[in-house]
Amino acid sequence: MSAEVSVGPFGRFAILTAERRLLVDGEPVTLGSRAFDLLAALVARRDRVVPKEELIEVVWPGLVVEDNNLQVQISALRKVLGAQAIATVPGRGYQFTVAAAAEAKVRPALRAGHGTSQRGARLLVADDNKVNRLLLCRSLELMGHTVASADNGRAALERLRSEPFDLLLLDLEMPEMDGFGLLEQRTADPAALHDVPVIVTSSLEGVAPIARCIELGADDYLHKPVNPVLLKARVDSSLERKHLRDRQRELLARLAPGAVGEAAPGAATGGRTEATILVARLRELDALAASQPAQETLELLGSWTTLMLDAVESQGGAVLQIAGDAISVVFGAAMPSASGVAPGAAVRAAREMGELMAQFNAERIATGKAPVGLAVGIASGEVVAGYTGTPQRTAYVCVGAAVERAARLEALAGGSAGAVLIDGATRAAVAGRVSTDTVSPAVLPGSSTAVAVHALKPAT
Amino acid sequence: MSAAVIDPHTFDELQANAGADFVAELVDTFAEEAPPLLAEMRSALAAGAAERFRRAAHSLKSNSSTFGATRLAGLARELELGGLPAGAGGIDALAREFETTLVALKALARP
Repeated sequence: MSAEVSVGPFGRFAILTAERRLLVDGEPVTLGSRAFDLLAALVARRDRVVPKEELIEVVWPGLVVEDNNLQVQISALRKVLGAQAIATVPGRGYQFTVAAAAEAKVRPALRAGHGTSQRGARLLVADDNKVNRLLLCRSLELMGHTVASADNGRAALERLRSEPFDLLLLDLEMPEMDGFGLLEQRTADPAALHDVPVIVTSSLEGVAPIARCIELGADDYLHKPVNPVLLKARVDSSLERKHLRDRQRELLARLAPGAVGEAAPGAATGGRTEATILVARLRELDALAASQPAQETLELLGSWTTLMLDAVESQGGAVLQIAGDAISVVFGAAMPSASGVAPGAAVRAAREMGELMAQFNAERIATGKAPVGLAVGIASGEVVAGYTGTPQRTAYVCVGAAVERAARLEALAGGSAGAVLIDGATRAAVAGRVSTDTVSPAVLPGSSTAVAVHALKPAT
Repeated sequence: MSAAVIDPHTFDELQANAGADFVAELVDTFAEEAPPLLAEMRSALAAGAAERFRRAAHSLKSNSSTFGATRLAGLARELELGGLPAGAGGIDALAREFETTLVALKALARP
């Protein structure tokens, strides 16, 4: 056990830096990992007003993030600590105010979040053409990443073997070893290389090179000259996926030590377990995407995903999939926690999602934008869960009737009031602690038999 | 009337995204890198090396597009996709267009 490092106490609460926990009256309080990073940053700098840009750099290192995200996290902290704990200094930033915080209004103690925070990304650019290489490095550095470069495939391979990178941007036509050659080496030597996602950048024409790159395990393909908006979107998306893969791997390693080696093609590790599945979807995205610039849609999706992940992480859920405007999460299967807590954690995560969305919508309305809706489905039952994939692509997967049911409940919720719908098994597990309206019996989309459906009532 | 040597929109975007000072340096890099590529095309043609010829033309096309040098990119693309030509006329035209393009790029990069 490492020595416990704490800051404070400030009045009734203290921050355990090493454990990443906030204690109020000695009890741990739920806080998303971004919210925790933000609080820690504000407390460390409490002698001054901290500019928004500085906070964003600390909390989302290496990522370009909208102010909106920061405002939502500040709102979340104020709910826990009291509105006066963090002062807004218009035009300058935020400041943590100790005396006011001592009067903090406190939410009920819940299990504290444990998410890992994202590192500043290290990127490798492989391109033999000096103009292309310099420009790509420059673009990525302007996004806040640390960038190294190589001028052929062999040099890139050597660097990949000798130091860790989060992402490789790979040109195809290069001397010594070309991009295809490097991708093939990556397949042959998965131990050293398969954790590094690859985005291919090339101005080769036709679909044949794209198809071959994808077959060889590349994450994505960008045509040169590279459009900066697309570059940022694809790089962010690849880094986020890698972050999630790493985290799921960690969780599974805790669950089944030794099982998370180099997964052979088609192999699955893990087993049968009780779990709760949560599926959440951002509503009205199609209409918004048709009426606003693409960049705004990308930013909206980015902000939404960030908020949902915060809610998931704070309740210890593991992300199964992020597919554009939807996110699937499992509670229980990969968690080292006692059985029976998963349904409650999923319901709390859904509530937190709703609260974060309400704050997010308030910010949107304040800036003249249309509010967006949220649909959530939650189902519990036995699933087969584990880590599977090929050396190029790995994923934590979860299979079972509850997975299907959660997706169908989400679809049903999205088709009506945008409520949180839960199945009978989940309701039974949380009975007495949350109140629900019974919508059932309802025939879920894609199913022919009527099953029990319950709508979660808003927290009072 | 022929197309502009440099597409102003592409060049402005490049400056906005990467910074004007950086783009000025990038133009200097292009000025150093392009002549060896033209020489590579001539030597590949003399040796009958179609793949080397195509690669050099491809690099020139790629860099020209980056700066919005539409005409130069078009000429390079014809050579990239056209196979080994019968004579050096295409390379000569490409080299002349490169000189014109470079003058225009330098004027835009350091007004």
